Amino acid sequence: MIGTMAEAAPYVGYVYPNETDIPWSVLIVIYPYITGLVAGAFIVSSLYHVFGMAQYKPVARFALLTAVSFMFFVPTPLLLHLGNPQRAFNAVLTPHWTSAMAAFSYVAGFYICLLLLEIWFAFRADIVAKSKTTQGPLGTLYRALTLGSDDISPRALAIDHKFAFALAMIGIPAAGGLHGYVGFLFGSVKAREWWSSDLMPIIFLLSAIVSGIGLLVVLYVAYSKVRKVPVDADCMKGLARTMWAFLLVVLVIEGLELLEMFYKRLEGIDMVQRLIEGPIWYSMLIQWGGSLAVLAILTVLIVFKIRGKALETWMTVSGVGMMVAVLAMRWNVVIGGQELSKTMKGLLTYYPEILGHEGLLAVALVFTCPFIVLWLITRFLSPWEPEARKEGTS
Amino acid sequence: MSQQDKKVESKESKLVRRNFLKMLGIGTACAGALVGTGSLVAKAQGTESATAVPPPKIPDYDWNKHKWAFGVDATRCIGCLRCVEACKAENGVTQDAHHFRTWVERYVYLEGEERAHVDSQSDAQNIAASGSEKEFRFDNRYKDAKVEKAFFVPKLCNHCTHPACVQVCPTGATYQTKDGVVLIDHSYCIGCQYCVQACPYGVREFNHVMGVTDKCTWCYHRITKGLQPACVEVCPVEARVFGDRNDPQSPISAFLRNNRVSVLKPETGNAPNVFYVGIDKEVS
Amino acid sequence: MPKHIVRLFLLVAVLAVAALTAKQFFTDRSYYAYGHYRGDSVAEIASDIPRFRGNEYCKSCHARQYAAWSESLHNNPAAGKHVKCEVCHGPVGQHPSRERAPLSLDERIALGGKAQAPAPGDTTAEGKLPVPKDRTKCIQCHEAMPGRPAAQRQVVLAAHAGTEQCTACHDPHSPKINFAALAPPPKGDAVAGKTVAATCAACHGPAGASVNPAWPNLAGQHAGYLINALQAFKSGARANAMMSGMAAGLSDADMKNVAAYFSQESCKTAGGESAKAVLGKARAASCALCHGPAGVGGNPSWPNLAGQNPDYLSDTLKAFQDGTRNHPVMTSVAKTLSASDIDNLTAYYASARCK
Repeated sequence: MIGTMAEAAPYVGYVYPNETDIPWSVLIVIYPYITGLVAGAFIVSSLYHVFGMAQYKPVARFALLTAVSFMFFVPTPLLLHLGNPQRAFNAVLTPHWTSAMAAFSYVAGFYICLLLLEIWFAFRADIVAKSKTTQGPLGTLYRALTLGSDDISPRALAIDHKFAFALAMIGIPAAGGLHGYVGFLFGSVKAREWWSSDLMPIIFLLSAIVSGIGLLVVLYVAYSKVRKVPVDADCMKGLARTMWAFLLVVLVIEGLELLEMFYKRLEGIDMVQRLIEGPIWYSMLIQWGGSLAVLAILTVLIVFKIRGKALETWMTVSGVGMMVAVLAMRWNVVIGGQELSKTMKGLLTYYPEILGHEGLLAVALVFTCPFIVLWLITRFLSPWEPEARKEGTS
Repeated sequence: MSQQDKKVESKESKLVRRNFLKMLGIGTACAGALVGTGSLVAKAQGTESATAVPPPKIPDYDWNKHKWAFGVDATRCIGCLRCVEACKAENGVTQDAHHFRTWVERYVYLEGEERAHVDSQSDAQNIAASGSEKEFRFDNRYKDAKVEKAFFVPKLCNHCTHPACVQVCPTGATYQTKDGVVLIDHSYCIGCQYCVQACPYGVREFNHVMGVTDKCTWCYHRITKGLQPACVEVCPVEARVFGDRNDPQSPISAFLRNNRVSVLKPETGNAPNVFYVGIDKEVS
Repeated sequence: MPKHIVRLFLLVAVLAVAALTAKQFFTDRSYYAYGHYRGDSVAEIASDIPRFRGNEYCKSCHARQYAAWSESLHNNPAAGKHVKCEVCHGPVGQHPSRERAPLSLDERIALGGKAQAPAPGDTTAEGKLPVPKDRTKCIQCHEAMPGRPAAQRQVVLAAHAGTEQCTACHDPHSPKINFAALAPPPKGDAVAGKTVAATCAACHGPAGASVNPAWPNLAGQHAGYLINALQAFKSGARANAMMSGMAAGLSDADMKNVAAYFSQESCKTAGGESAKAVLGKARAASCALCHGPAGVGGNPSWPNLAGQNPDYLSDTLKAFQDGTRNHPVMTSVAKTLSASDIDNLTAYYASARCK
């Protein structure tokens, strides 16, 4: 039975004996990462739904579907990581409110409901239309989703619109809360030098938004290619500016945090330095190198008003780059924090399993699922309706 | 748009708004009622616990009458590691070099060096010396070195007054008892290991077979029967002291009266209840 | 209000009520009894069965060992020493038990100690507690090691006992060797012994001062040691071409008498190189534990060394080294000595005053 345990992590210096069993595996790297993609995608949809920025209209409903597809899989890595996943509901039954983690099921549950309602309101007219034309079990599903009402009168749609607006308004702080909360989960752990920071929630939130925009860019370009329609240039330009702005702020904050840390030189800073130069040097390089490269590309795209094919290509590159850089950042935080011993006298090195329920294969599977679900959902509720229909619903 | 149209529209939108507000009001009221009921229930249960609930059904034991604490005199510890093996045997702790409820650290300052060399029984050289991950001993690697100062420091759960581990437990599977012991309900723990992260002292470990976190209980099953914790029972040199602070005659009360004690990492605000004598600036 | 909105609110309300009902239904009844946890778990944890059961439990059957232990240095509360039974023998668990443990240790771990504690069958098949066979247990506390407080009795293993087991000299239940309590050597008749001694005189001198430095002086030697030596020659435990034959002709009474005779004769210091003797004195600290502080007055079972012929001493040590002579302690001690150590030690003892 001991075989179910991952290998003990090698270390240098002195670490507490129990620390060689790294508590949070690569699954917990992917968890804040997926949450972040949700938050980022939702913010883009809100730019249209709440702030009325018309250039984001082409991706607004698609962003909602992206957010919910990924949101469905936010709990998966957590459940896979639990020692007793069948007891996960204990945290819902008797949530211990002093624990940041107790809020997870409520925050995530609330957020999924919010997303579903938002989608329901945004797509209700389409659902009603489909319920009348579709046969078979799929038709039954559409009819169930209408809640037995085919009222798509202008008055009903106006009410829908108000609800959708209100939900999107709530959704912004909720998305912020959802991811700021994940940052708090780490930032509030005073036992871990590398996590315990007041800036952690804001860094998590901003980097989440950047990665979410990156995901949306990649998906939007990919879908356009598959559907053989041109990519909306104004939308791309808008996304480039939003991504640039959030990326710039997050880089400044992260940079300032490191600067303060090294300027203050509090006890243990030598070990922090050795952590950065040692176990996480490559992921630090990916995070910072990737972010700075993307920032440079975006600056060029914006300053020189690049358009057309080049904009499309370089935005895709930036999107992928940002997704990779933010993934590296999540690794640096989650794994890096645990590689720095609580003794501040030693460093551990974490090697993920390949197979096994906490291995890289599991992570790859978990991360593939949202894409499949998104594909299924977009088949069920197409976010790319003809202009005329969209005018009517939104 | 004609005047009339405007009127109709405005009337309609007013109606819509009113209805919307009404629904919102009803919704809020409903939510409020639900939350209110919930907190009322919780409150009722809370007051009940303060007055009527008898203490847990432990034979001949009332947890309201005790306040446990632990003392470690590092100047007496000989590093024999009987405590570590006894703890594993008493509590069924995973038999390897990576899971401990208690352990012993060795600090060695060599002549002319600023920082201590630190190791514990888990160190690879020490495991090689014992020849097994089920038995523990310190190897004698410093016997020919120029040692300026050396000492052993036993470590265990501090059963803090403000335990960070309890604070972060999402389910309430880990908690503090009235008599001052931090326990884990193994049948309720979901195995998220957030508490393992939160403990500044690294005393929590994960039982991979049961899928739950495990930790020192000060041998709660022993102390509630009038026995000493296993590690204290087997310590041959009185380096470990345990007792009831409510009893001025207890060993721990005498230990605290007669010594100037310190605690580990006081800056974390956890307020430990394991008190140390004879540790050094490098011990944390 | 449109129908779909009303129905949506109804749906949300139904789900909320269902969720709250489920929460009430599934929450453990003892939850919140004392705080935010399952109240019953406190008594559950407290109900685990202790495995370490304390000295009094052992005493009920092992009274003799307990009595020896309770008087010993291993039980010295005034000095803060409590080497209790279970420190060396491990936890009692459900010993004594004729049945094998129902659960293995791994199974017990899997159950989190909730089930019945296993009998010590998990360590030995017969339900007996382990009796440490080698010196590992002693070393855990008594090997000299930086970090151990000075008050702890510690030995440098190589110098103290070589590779010898501790139990060769020490009883773990009462580790201090109590020389006074050892049985005194049988009293012999020195006058009668003088007659027997006539046969020894050719080699060892009429009054026990040897004529050849390769042969030992006998004058002033412990009678007990002399008797032991003669019996060892007679039984063949010790072999020597001359002495085996000589001892074969002696009765037990002869041995007692001749030993009494030589032990009361006054000894003569053989003498050795003083430069080497100084070095030898420094090396002799570990010998002193058995042979007396300056080579006299140690345990009567073991020989005085002071004033002894240096050639005899060095021959003897070399015999222990090469295995021609054997002794549980001396064989390993001798192996820790270099040739110059032997030179220095023999010079030191040969020149030491033998009274």
